[in-house]
This record gives sequence, structure tokens and C-alpha cells, in this order.
Amino acid sequence: MSNPSSSPATSAPIVEIRDMDFSYGSKIALHDIQLAVERRRVTALIGPSGCGKSTLLRCINRMNDRVPSARVTRGAVLVKGKNIHDEDVDLTQLRKQVGMVFQKSNPFPKSIYENVAYGLRVHGENNVEVLDDAVERALRSAALWDELKDRLQAHALGLSGGQQQRLCIARAIATQPDVLLMDEPCSALDPIATLKIEELIHQFARDFSVIIVTHNMQQAVRVSDYTAFLHLGKLIEFSPTELMFERPKEKLTESYLRGTFS
Amino acid sequence: MAWDMQKLIRSFFASNASVTIIVLLLIMVFLMREGAGFLGTYKHELEIYRKAGLELCDLVDRPLAQHQDLSSKLRRAVTTSIDPLIQSTRARRDAAFYIKREIEQSTTLPREALTQALEKTPALDPAKLDQLRRQVASETAAAAATAAISNLFSAEEVARLRREMSLLSPEVTEMPSFLTELSAAFRVMDKEAKQKYTQLIEASDLFEEAPDSLRAMLSELKEDVLFTKEAAMEYFTLEEGRQKLLKAAEVATDLKEKADLLAEAEASKTEEPNYQENLAPVLERREELQEHITQYADSITEALKTLPKTGDVPEATKLLAEVHEHMPLHVQAMRKSLTEIKEWQAEKPVSIITVVGAFFFGSAWLTNSSWQDFFGFVPLLAGSVVIALIAIVIATPLSVAAAIYTNQFASDREKEFIKPVIEFIQAIPSVVLGFIGISLLGDLIKDMSEIPWLSGLPGFPIQERLNMFNAGCLLALMAIPTMFSLAEDALNNVPQAYIDASDALGATKLQTVFRVIVPAALSGIAAAVLLGLGRVIGETMVVLLVAGNRIAIPDFGVGPGFIFQPAHTLTGIIAQELGEVSRGSAHWQALFMVGIVLFAISLLVNGCARAVVRRFETPKA
Repeated sequence: MSNPSSSPATSAPIVEIRDMDFSYGSKIALHDIQLAVERRRVTALIGPSGCGKSTLLRCINRMNDRVPSARVTRGAVLVKGKNIHDEDVDLTQLRKQVGMVFQKSNPFPKSIYENVAYGLRVHGENNVEVLDDAVERALRSAALWDELKDRLQAHALGLSGGQQQRLCIARAIATQPDVLLMDEPCSALDPIATLKIEELIHQFARDFSVIIVTHNMQQAVRVSDYTAFLHLGKLIEFSPTELMFERPKEKLTESYLRGTFS
Repeated sequence: MAWDMQKLIRSFFASNASVTIIVLLLIMVFLMREGAGFLGTYKHELEIYRKAGLELCDLVDRPLAQHQDLSSKLRRAVTTSIDPLIQSTRARRDAAFYIKREIEQSTTLPREALTQALEKTPALDPAKLDQLRRQVASETAAAAATAAISNLFSAEEVARLRREMSLLSPEVTEMPSFLTELSAAFRVMDKEAKQKYTQLIEASDLFEEAPDSLRAMLSELKEDVLFTKEAAMEYFTLEEGRQKLLKAAEVATDLKEKADLLAEAEASKTEEPNYQENLAPVLERREELQEHITQYADSITEALKTLPKTGDVPEATKLLAEVHEHMPLHVQAMRKSLTEIKEWQAEKPVSIITVVGAFFFGSAWLTNSSWQDFFGFVPLLAGSVVIALIAIVIATPLSVAAAIYTNQFASDREKEFIKPVIEFIQAIPSVVLGFIGISLLGDLIKDMSEIPWLSGLPGFPIQERLNMFNAGCLLALMAIPTMFSLAEDALNNVPQAYIDASDALGATKLQTVFRVIVPAALSGIAAAVLLGLGRVIGETMVVLLVAGNRIAIPDFGVGPGFIFQPAHTLTGIIAQELGEVSRGSAHWQALFMVGIVLFAISLLVNGCARAVVRRFETPKA
């Protein structure tokens, strides 16, 4: 947004999902997904409950690996052109590149500082100056620095709900990921806290890509450049947000957006 | 009707809850009632102890007890000094005598046959005797020829030994000449060695004899005061009986019975001994006693002056240094007793604070003594605390690590195996664990402590098979199921959201476990450890069987090796002694006091565990 010439539409997508089927055991959760997420853009995933939005999001950083029977049965997920299921992919490195923010804020029961520094620490960073810098930068990016700079050693669980969620965002971006996955990050927050986070998402798009799952269609309109609509495990439509909300190509999309969905 | 039914069910559940609470309260009240009388009874005993004059004797006797320790150190210094000089000659003598005994033993049968034959009257046929003699000779010769002879002897000497030994017979009474020579050589050597250390030996002897006159006098005094004390005890026993009789007479309805009871009470009436009068002759000898003490102190100071500062062997030097260090303190303590004796007053009342102090800070638990019973609580507390700490130090890493593994790394099948197995430990009766401690672990630890390359460990090689470490190991085993289950619960209760967040940041499994899960579960783990401690403090059977039951404060001065000393415990002492004491005596009440303190400790530990959980459960900014 800030520098259009540096993000040509022709550049390779940061995340690409090719003909992917995904299933939990014998139950197919996602079917034949095709999706290319552009660099430095915000992509929203919308759709009714149980359509597979969160599952799709969790495919991108392989969070589904922990469910024993869950696996990609066909196709591939590529991050920066690399298939993330390849043998030589280091999961910790992948997750360093692909950060994640959860529906419910989940700061560690540690100090504010230690929460933000955690990602760097687990990747082997112990230099205090580097950590201090990274913590400050991340907290500034999450618009928390001014509020919290005087009590970085305070316990994170003493913060308000909105602050906790922004702290989780700061924690996720402290490792400077290329993609930030957000799974309904505002669903538990009040409108003011939601607004603050939406502002952050706008700013983030200058530096990296954001993929956000949301139930709130107004939010999708407000924050995203592209929107993908999923229904029953299938990707129904994927197009620039404005286009989708003004002139949806598919009947299903139209009825969902209008709320006449059955 | 429906409402009534509900009310009924409600009160049924409420009454069940209240029964438990009431029972607990009753237990507490009972404990308190039995224990509360202790301070009064003990105070009374201590008053007699003072009035009869036993305390006066103890003023001297107590510091004098050190003398034994010091003189045994000196004796050891003497032996260790002399030993290297006489060692080789002694070894030669002993080896030769050993061979003689071996040969005699291996030819027991013919020798005994011959001896019996010679004793027979009338005398046996000479030809038969000759035959027996020949048999002895031939077997002895054979044994002497084949006997293994140590390399302490030269080839020549070996030959001579064999030759002389082959002539052994029950009829020859004199020693083989070689043995006589060896004995003589040893005596010469021993004398020489003793001459070399004359100074040390003389100082040691002087020191050993120094308290003789003081001791003699003290035992005379002790006899006197003990007589008074026993008279007093008898009086109080009779008096108690008399009071009971009088009370019975009061309520008796039958006139004759009443008269009988009163007569019986009258008959058992005795006088309380006159303490002052009895003590007067003892007090008169006070100055004499002081003189003896001064004399003793002077003579050991003198002995110390002539005592060499170093020995020729390191062991002796070490012992002498210890004696030089402790002796002045001993002298000081003895001289201090002089003023104490002077200031001592038989009439001074025993304050309740003194009694409380004597219980809670008393360093001796001495019961069924012919002199005076003391109920000092410290040795038992020390034993309990040390054993519990050993158990916790061993059990904590084991159970916490096992819990972490089971909760975080184990596969479902492993979990199904590990959890029931660890929880099964709880099902082992503690008396069975006691067996294991006595028969298996004790020997194992002792054998291990005798392995040469382990001798560097503190306390090795150990003296006692039954000791605090042994008991601690078994209690650790008993605490593991509790601690494991609680720690595992604590780990289980860590919210999944923390684990998600850590995983999403690229942490490895290990990092997630040790940076997020374990810290988040720490309060629960701490509570698990504390509850384990509570379990261990209250455990009785194992410590009673395995801890060694020596009532003494562990000697912490020996370094970390003190854990291999035997000890007694709060729980063990109750279990061991309560069955044997007479109901209502001071000893009985003292045991109840111990029970009360034990109860208080358990409450405290459990309270701490709750506090820890509450403190960390909902952290505030």
C-alpha cells in the first residue's frame, strides 16, 4: 500500500495452496482448495460455521499436525514457493515465518517482556540488546509500547482483554514473520478493542501478508484486500474484496453475503 | 410431602459431612486433653528433681560426660601411633598362632580320640595308645606339610614352622619354640614402641585417671539424692492411691465398706520426705565437691601441657589436634560448673517457661531411667525432619520428572502402563517396605559403602545398616505416588491455549514443555511436593523399622555423611513407647504432646500447600 512499485501483482504469491484435499481420518474437511495469497495484502477467509476456514488457516503453519489423524491427502501448500510438507522443511522455521494469533487471547503466565521475547528466545536469541530492541519494536507495532513501556516486567495476565490480544499479536510479530495468520482475533473483544486491532492489521500490510478468519463481514470489508468464501469445505469464490461484496460471481456467495443463506 | 422428602435427603448428606467434622474435632479435643496435663506433670517431676538434689549432681555430671569422649580419642591416638611400629611383629606372631590353630583344628578327630583314651581309667592297652599316637603324628605331619603359610616368613622360617608344627600333639604342653620366640619378639617390640611414646601414654593415663576421685565422690552424692527422690516418688504414688480410696469411701453407701476403705487409706498414709533435711549433708559437701572439680580441672590442664601436639601418623595428629581443641572447652565447662554449684538453690521454683523450654528445646529424650526421665523433643524432631527432607530430595526429581514424561512425552500405551504402576506403589503396605529396608536396602547401602572407589563419598563406609538415609529412600518411594499424581494433574491443568501459542511460535516440544508448561504448572508441582512432605512426616511404620531408633540429635558436625546415622522420629517414638507406658504418667502425656506437635506440623504443611496453590493460581499484575 505504501509503496505499490515494490509489490507488483506479478510477483510470486507468498502462500499458495494447490488442489488441496484435507481430511480428519475418513472425514474430508477441505476439498480441492486453490488459493494464492499475495505479498503485503490482507486476505480474509469468510464462510458459515464449520465450513473449514480455521482448518484452512491451520494448514498454512501446519498446526493441524498435532491432530493425529489429520493430514493433507492431495495437493500441496507452498509458503514462499516451498512445499511445507517436504521432508527438509524445518517446522520451527516455518512457524517463525508464519505467525499466528488465536481467537482467544492466550498470553503466557509470564511477564509482558518475556511474552514478547519468547519467540526469539526459542529460536536461540539470548542477546539482551537484541531482545530489548525486538520487544520494543514489536510492542510499538502492536501499539502497546506507550501503554506498557514502564511495566514490562508486570505479569501479562494482569492486562485487559484487548491489551492481552494485542500482546499476543506483538508476540507473534516479534520474530518478524512473512505471514500472520489471525483466527477470529476480535471475536472476544469489545468494539473499541476491535477497532484498534483492525487499525493494526492495516499497518501490518505494509510489511507482511495477513490472512484473517472472520465471522464479521463488515470486518472483512474494512480490513481485507482479498476475500475467500468457503462453504462445506470448498472454496466457492476468491476475489478482491470490493469486487466480491459488490458483484459476487457465485449465487452461493451472494446469498451468504445478503444473509439469505439457507 | 415432596418437600419433606427433599429436606430429609438434604439432612442425610449434611449429617454425613458433620459426622466427619465432629470426629475430627473429637480427636483434637482428646489429644489436647491427654497432652495438656503434661506440662503440669513434668513440672512436678522437675521440681522433685531439683528439690531432691539430682539437678546439683547433673551440674557436674553433664560436663564430665565429655571426659569419656576425649579419653577415648587419646587412647585411639596412642594405638594408632604405636601400631605401625609393632604391626609387622604382631602380624608374624598372629600368623604363626593362626597356623597352629588351623592344624589343630584339622586334626581334631584323632587328637580328641587320643585325649579321651589317655583319660580313661584303667589305662588302655599301650599298643592301642601307640596306634592312636601314631595316627595323631601322621595326620599332624600331613597337615603341617600342606598348611598354607603367609609370605611374612622366609623360606627357612617356613621350614622350621612346618617341622615344629608337625610335632604338635595333645601330650606336648609346651609351645613350639618358634612361637615362643615370636611372642617374645612382639613383647620387646611393644615395649620399645611404648617407650618411644612414653610422653603420650603418660599424658593419656593421667587424663584417664584424673576424674576418679571426683567420680567416686559424685557417685556417693548421687546415691544420697536418689534415695530422697525415690522416697518422694513412692510418697506421691501412695498419696494418689490414698486419695482414690478416700473418694471411694465418700461415695460408698455400705457403712462397713466405708470404714474398710477409710482404714485402708489411713494405713497407706506416709510422710513426704523432708527434702531440706535430706539434702543438708549433700550441701555440706558442696565445698568438697568444688575442690574435687578444681583438682580435676587442674590435673587435666597439666596433662594437656605434656601432651604432644602432633603424632607420627596423620590419624594420631588429627586426634591430638581435636583433643587440644576440645580440652580447654571441657576445662572451661568444668570450671563453669563451680559457680553453678555455688549458685544452685534447691528451693528455687521451676517456672512453666523452663518446663516448656525443657520440652521444646530439650536435647535428651530419656525414659525409664533409674536417675531422671527427660522429655526433650529436639532429637525426635531432628530425626523426623532430616528423614523427611532426604525423602523429599529424592522423591521430588523422580516424581516430577516421571510426571513430565508421562504427561508430555509418553504415548498412550505408555501412559496406560506407567500411571497404574506408579499408583500401585501406594498399595504396598508400609510394613512390607520396612522389610525391604531392613533386609535388602540396608545391606545394599552398606555393601556399596564398602566399595573402595566410593569411599570418597561423605559418610562412607557407613557404620549402621539402619539409618536415616535408608528410611528416607523408602519414604521417598512412599511419597512418589502422591507427588506423581498431583504433579501430573498440575501439568494436565495447564491450558491448551498456552501450548498452542508456544507451538505456533515455532517452539520445539522440549521448549514448550520446559519454558511454558512446567513454569505454568509450578505452583501445582510445589503443592504436590508439600503434600508429599506431609505424607512423609506422618509415616510411622517404615521409620520405626528402618531408621535405627537411636534417640540422639544427629551429629551434623561430620558433614553431609550425617544422613547415614540412625535416628528416632516423632511418629516412631509414639508407636514404640505408647503401648508400654502406664496410662496418665508423665511419659504417657509426653507422647501425647509429641502427637499434638505432629498434628500441628501436618496442619502447617497442608496449609502451606493450599496457600501456595492459592497464591499462584490467579496471578495479578
